[in-house]
Amino acid sequence: MSNLKATLTGYASYRGREGHYSFLLHRITGLGTALFLIIHILDTSFVYFFPDLYQHAINLYRSTLFGIAEVGLVFCVFFHGVNGLRVAFFDLIAPRLWSVPKQRFSTKITLLITLLMWIPASAIMLYNMLYHNYGWFGG
Amino acid sequence: MTTNTRTIQKPKPNFETKSWLFMRYSAILLIPLVFGHLILQDVIVGVHRIDLDYVEMRWASIGWRIYDALLLAFAFAHGVNGIRQVLNDFIQSDRGRKFMHWGLFLLWLIVTAIGTIALIGGVRPIS
Repeated sequence: MSNLKATLTGYASYRGREGHYSFLLHRITGLGTALFLIIHILDTSFVYFFPDLYQHAINLYRSTLFGIAEVGLVFCVFFHGVNGLRVAFFDLIAPRLWSVPKQRFSTKITLLITLLMWIPASAIMLYNMLYHNYGWFGG
Repeated sequence: MTTNTRTIQKPKPNFETKSWLFMRYSAILLIPLVFGHLILQDVIVGVHRIDLDYVEMRWASIGWRIYDALLLAFAFAHGVNGIRQVLNDFIQSDRGRKFMHWGLFLLWLIVTAIGTIALIGGVRPIS
């Protein structure tokens, strides 16, 4: 249990600014995506194992609560993907470019690209959710 | 003036090196696969138009089945290995890590097997 506390204290108290925040966000978004992925593989497998229950699982995903969670999930995947690409680029293609100023700059660009993808995507998903669940926009 | 040369034996890549490289190479492959999957299924089609018939129609094409097989193989392996790397920060004893590694390996094996069976078996009619 002391390991847990020591690691978490290290996560919280390290002052690495942009690189530190992007490390933490990468882990949180990755864990969130992986958790959903386990559930998602199992619910899709219902089409073969329990086809009667598949619609029931999909109805849960159509609920407002899951609609909002879906918007969060898409943020997690977009951030984790763009940031992962940044890390892979520096590690595999240009390791000589790793430096604190470049890390700070590229982290901000990563967040900007993520938001540019995420905001229109979540607008469409929220539109669909309001259309189908609340009858907005003539739904 | 003399020049001293020193030969350094490059260490043989161990499991952790390979896992580190796998995360980066699979990431490059997963960008088009996962972003494409999300933009198509969550944004363009949307969960309100996904049902058993939709899955059946989609899986009628072998191309989409291969696409989903690649997602299952690479995304889930990437995810489970990521969980392993995070947990390695919290579990430091050899015994604890061995236990955790085997647990995650079994989780990966069982969930991947379930997904593969469904992907090959396809949509079954409602009884």
